[in-house]
Amino acid sequence: MRLIAEVDGDIIVAFEPNIGYVHRAVEKIAETKTYLQIIPLVERPMLPDTASANLGYILALEKLLDVEVPPRAQYLRMLLCEMSRIHSHLYGLGIFGNMIGSSTVFEWAFADREPFLELTQQWTGARLTASFMVPGGIRRDLPQDFKDKALKAVAYMEQRLKDYDKIFVNNPVTIARLEGVGVIKKSEAARIGIVGPNLRASGVAYDVRKIEPYCAYGDLDFDLIVREEGDCYARLLVRREEIKQSIKLIRQILDKLPSGSFFAEKYLKLITPKMKELMDKSNILRFPAVFSALKPAKGDAISRVEAGRGELFYYIVSDGTAQPYRFRMVTPSFKNVIAFKAALLGGRLADVPSVYGSLDYFPPEADR
Amino acid sequence: MGIIETIWQILTSPPVFIPLIFPGFITLMIVLLLLIWFERKLTAKVQMRYGPLYIFKAFGGAIQMVADLLKYLFSEFIVPKDADKKVFILAPIMFFTFTLLPLVAIPISSTFTAMQSDLTMLLVPAIGTLAPLMVILIGWSSNNKYSFIGSLREGYIMMTYEIPMFISILAMALTYNSLNLIQIVDKQSGFLWGIVLNPLAAITFFGTLLMTTARFPFDISEAESEIVVGPYTEYSGIVFVLCLGAPYVKLYVLSLFYSLVFLGGWNPLFWPLNTNPILPGLAVLVKGAIIMALAVFMRTIYPRYRLDQALRLGWHKLFALSILSVILALVLVGLGVL
Repeated sequence: MRLIAEVDGDIIVAFEPNIGYVHRAVEKIAETKTYLQIIPLVERPMLPDTASANLGYILALEKLLDVEVPPRAQYLRMLLCEMSRIHSHLYGLGIFGNMIGSSTVFEWAFADREPFLELTQQWTGARLTASFMVPGGIRRDLPQDFKDKALKAVAYMEQRLKDYDKIFVNNPVTIARLEGVGVIKKSEAARIGIVGPNLRASGVAYDVRKIEPYCAYGDLDFDLIVREEGDCYARLLVRREEIKQSIKLIRQILDKLPSGSFFAEKYLKLITPKMKELMDKSNILRFPAVFSALKPAKGDAISRVEAGRGELFYYIVSDGTAQPYRFRMVTPSFKNVIAFKAALLGGRLADVPSVYGSLDYFPPEADR
Repeated sequence: MGIIETIWQILTSPPVFIPLIFPGFITLMIVLLLLIWFERKLTAKVQMRYGPLYIFKAFGGAIQMVADLLKYLFSEFIVPKDADKKVFILAPIMFFTFTLLPLVAIPISSTFTAMQSDLTMLLVPAIGTLAPLMVILIGWSSNNKYSFIGSLREGYIMMTYEIPMFISILAMALTYNSLNLIQIVDKQSGFLWGIVLNPLAAITFFGTLLMTTARFPFDISEAESEIVVGPYTEYSGIVFVLCLGAPYVKLYVLSLFYSLVFLGGWNPLFWPLNTNPILPGLAVLVKGAIIMALAVFMRTIYPRYRLDQALRLGWHKLFALSILSVILALVLVGLGVL
């Protein structure tokens, strides 16, 4: 990614983000893979926020396959997504801090991802790219002591957020650097179509979890964080508040977690009895043989999920074979890249890092 | 008289001892070594890391800087094709020299001083003001956009900090009615130090000290996430070390100066102790070390100001504070406190 700025003295008069340097042709590769092989593929571009990438794809695929997902799996999917969202916001916060010179918050935020990474590892076996959600459910039930550990992790995170406030969020230099910088007005934000926390920081109350609830977000109680200012500081505050909301959600999910199976009945009966026995003993999913070449019915499906950085969109066209005919993935960073221009024109050269950090832009995600 | 005695006499005579041994070159090198190590270790502690560790493990990686220095010594010094070669090579050397030179005017006890002058308090910052000009030269000769932006930033900042700095020195000169550092320290006998007499001047000078040595939150000319390393972008090898080391040298010099003018120098050591140069010198160094530690600690707390914000802070706050400190000094003189 190159940022080309034309300056008049210190004021930016023209700005052009030059994207595409980490393009990996995810969409084209997906058309040559079977449906199950696409799961790890879509996780790769969206690194800190893999669970949401996984979930969005699976939701679209399940529409094609017409599978009913049991409620326990729905809740556990949300749990993984919220942990992933906290992770993604911390990652963004760390980069943001480093961009405007606060190396302390960089190190802290990166270190504090660790409890959630450890939890993910203990549950799914991988720290980041778990490839955990499959059509019909998830691959493993919760470990026994997971609830206590998760509650401990979120309590720790709540404490740490107060420390972040002290050293970074309420720091007079941070406020001087970010307040009134990179303003995107409400009408402008809606017009150029940015998504996620950046949109909400401009005063537009839009969150796929609220507008079009998927999984069981409709049953859970959480607030939509909206700020009117639309500047870099508002974007920082929105992300900080969203970490708190995710903590609230994790607590609710762990409380309300329904009992039952974590895998759809439709596929459960296809598993051989011997495998079923093993699965019941270990609580780890054994794939039914049909998964090796899933062939959805002819047709197309779309899905939208709210990933850490904003709305993530999938469109799959199936021609009845084992590979998708067309696969489309629109990532939040791709939609947000246009915000650079809107936020930076008329700003100062030293505002480029502040705006870059505040947009939480992630080049591999945008280029796919 | 044997030859060893002669050498000993030459070495311990103030004009040689001060620039060469203490507080000059040798002490400076040790202080730089420990200061940069301390900065990295302290930052690491706050940021939940280890910091330098493996080189001289028993002492927490204390000589990491020696290893870094050796590495830089043996790496190639590249002169860019389009650079102004003479200036490109000479400017960093002069930059380092001008930051180091004010040390000769710093006395380490009431009798032990390299130069007898009534203007030492003016001389130390005055020689120091030549250094930023070299930074501008460095940026100009590199012929690189980041170097150029960095050196322009340095130029803007220089104008902002130097005026409040000199006005706060003027305030102290009025307070003590002297420009001789030895007399100034003698006037701060007991605990009536400059920082107590004129706290406004002390605050202003500390602020300008952070600006002139490019400490956070005024790390603007080097701003790593914006313009690589600012003016020094094109440098490599040992000359790069000179560029990076010079702000630390400046910090060292100005910290010693601060401890003499505002922190009472070798006070509260009384008469028989303060004639021997060792104890008073140590007292000055320890007080200076506190200032240095404070200055490097800022890195862990603050992000970086934007250029225009730093300029506004300099002209609106520090300049006003320095004027107030002069008024305070006049009031003190009028009341006859000293």
